Amino acid sequence: MSTLLKVEGLKVHFPIRQGLLLGRQVGAVRAVDGVDLEIPEGRTLGLVGESGCGKSTLGRAILRLSPITEGRVMFDGVDVASLKGEKLRAIRQDMQMVFQDPMASLDPRQSVETLLTEPLRAHGIAYDRRTRVKELLEQVGLPSSAARKYPHEFSGGQRQRIGIARAIALEPRLVIADEPVSALDVSIQAQVLNLLEELQHSLGLTYLVIAHDLAVVRHVSDEVAVMYLGAVVEQAPSDGLYEKPLHPYTKALMSAVPVPDPVVEATRERIILQGDLPSPANPPPGCRFHTRCPFRQPTRCDTERPALRELDRDHRVACHWAEDIASGKIQPHAVRPEDVMTFTSRPSNPSEIFDAMP
Amino acid sequence: MKPATAPTRRGEPLLSVRNLGVTFQLRGQQGAKAVDDVSFDISAGQHVGLVGESGSGKSVTSLAIMGLLPQRGVKVRGEVMFDGVDLLKKSRREMSDLRGREVSMVFQDPMTSLNPVVPIGTQIAEIIQRHFNAKKGPALEKSEDLLAKVGLPDPHRRLREYPHQLSGGMRQRVLIAMALACEPRLLIADEPTTALDVTIQAQVLEVLKKLVADTDAALLMITHDLGVVAGLCDTVNVMYSGRIVESATRERLFGQPRHPYTGGLLASIPKLDSPRGAPLTPIPGSPTQLLPWSEGCAFAPRCRNRTDECTSRTPGLDPDGDRHLRCFNPLTPTVAEAAR
Repeated sequence: MSTLLKVEGLKVHFPIRQGLLLGRQVGAVRAVDGVDLEIPEGRTLGLVGESGCGKSTLGRAILRLSPITEGRVMFDGVDVASLKGEKLRAIRQDMQMVFQDPMASLDPRQSVETLLTEPLRAHGIAYDRRTRVKELLEQVGLPSSAARKYPHEFSGGQRQRIGIARAIALEPRLVIADEPVSALDVSIQAQVLNLLEELQHSLGLTYLVIAHDLAVVRHVSDEVAVMYLGAVVEQAPSDGLYEKPLHPYTKALMSAVPVPDPVVEATRERIILQGDLPSPANPPPGCRFHTRCPFRQPTRCDTERPALRELDRDHRVACHWAEDIASGKIQPHAVRPEDVMTFTSRPSNPSEIFDAMP
Repeated sequence: MKPATAPTRRGEPLLSVRNLGVTFQLRGQQGAKAVDDVSFDISAGQHVGLVGESGSGKSVTSLAIMGLLPQRGVKVRGEVMFDGVDLLKKSRREMSDLRGREVSMVFQDPMTSLNPVVPIGTQIAEIIQRHFNAKKGPALEKSEDLLAKVGLPDPHRRLREYPHQLSGGMRQRVLIAMALACEPRLLIADEPTTALDVTIQAQVLEVLKKLVADTDAALLMITHDLGVVAGLCDTVNVMYSGRIVESATRERLFGQPRHPYTGGLLASIPKLDSPRGAPLTPIPGSPTQLLPWSEGCAFAPRCRNRTDECTSRTPGLDPDGDRHLRCFNPLTPTVAEAAR
């Protein structure tokens, strides 16, 4: 299986400026800070992490919707990061996105037909309006009568179907889905997840699914990458990751997900992290997670940034002590909230945050 | 400053909601029923869950109990017996004495429920001053204790900080501190962790659990997350389209869901411990906005077990073995097990 997308050393830094007009740069929000990823054609990579870990920025940067500071995004052998103008526009035909909130990402004043044919017009593709729209609607399980309606006439799940139909209108090879189901009701989520799966089979799509919900990501992904503060801390085939998480952050994340089963809830091991995510404008030195890590060791953790290394087959982890933690040689200890506070983001000056936005 | 709460009257539940109905009536329009025929009990110290999707009426139920619905255009029917007294018959002034003192509430979005221009210490102290006639000094001291109890580091300094200086998880802890400031007998938590990340959600739930246990308060947990309920509540009420459709202890409900909606929900949620590729069984269709309970069961259009009876007669919430069930054709235990 050939690799469709390969991300190498990707960095996205948003400058923090100070001063009124042409402010000088005083720092940077390191939203994505050195990420390597690879997705084979026809497979699904899931990207999980909490808000602020940079997962959405990473997805947007791959499509060049966010400026890339450094690194390469190889799409089928072409470096997307270096493309400009017409060439960039042309390659976007093969890379499409499904957004989180279909109400916000669909123009309320365009009919479904116009929404679905806009990408075709933008890329100058000849099409037969009737048949193409009908075909797309059929593919996402909507009646052809939907073509003349407007987004507000649909329920949340149906709207997300329209968003998906628009993403596949250009017959892309890669679809990046950013939180495709988190805005939907529980009973609707499964419908959309099943639809994504069906489309992958029928159209041979490659997916990058970005979500905060570990259970959703596990369900749709062949492989899962866990992000923390701008970097991937663990990457593994989804079964391997959930059976045997190696990174302390992955362990904590998984133990925090509520499971709808009282028996499991009552018996499982629970790791409760202290404090909040540190600020990406001032990340802790060494391992990004060491301030909150219950397995933190006196050496290396706070000075040396761990690289992703392969521990098991295809199971990569960025932790100096992963082997000892897995074997039980290192036991978890208490983390005092005070230790965490030093690096916890404290948005005391709101203008800083607004300046940092792209 | 320990409040002397009267013991609940023997044998009776602390809160007893009977046939609660809420109708929103716009002038010249047909009224929209948001909640209809909702009945449930909470005993002292018990944790009860109210689960439903958006639009199922779970938040309106909680607002009706608290007397926080607007007076105009809203019709509330039924009874809300709290310790033997009907809260719906109380005057606004009496309710205001009770709220925060006997019954209090934690809302979903901590940014909109805190005053952005008042330091959090003052906001917590305000409640203590209001209900105990305390002076500001002692009230602030008590606030500091409360902040320490909910696990905010450096509580003394935090007293003078404003909501925007705190993270989402810390703000939610402040709200919990405020809600439990007067050691109420009933705490209503309306989606208290929905706006938070999972690891922060775990922190906040832990704090909530501990404090509720410390103060012996009863808890009404309103959420859409079946996982949260599974870890926290003794009994669970599942709502659909404004009515409770199934009500059972948590072990029975999760172990053997009988209502097709409950069963469908559990089958449609991706689980952490299920193998990849295990297909999800979605519930077809989507929830309806209006309440079609008058002509049969509201869930019938989406139900796999539907028969003619379901669309001609309205099912009542009847006892069925170990639970209460609003369904003519419930899942049989074996099918329910297989669906899991």
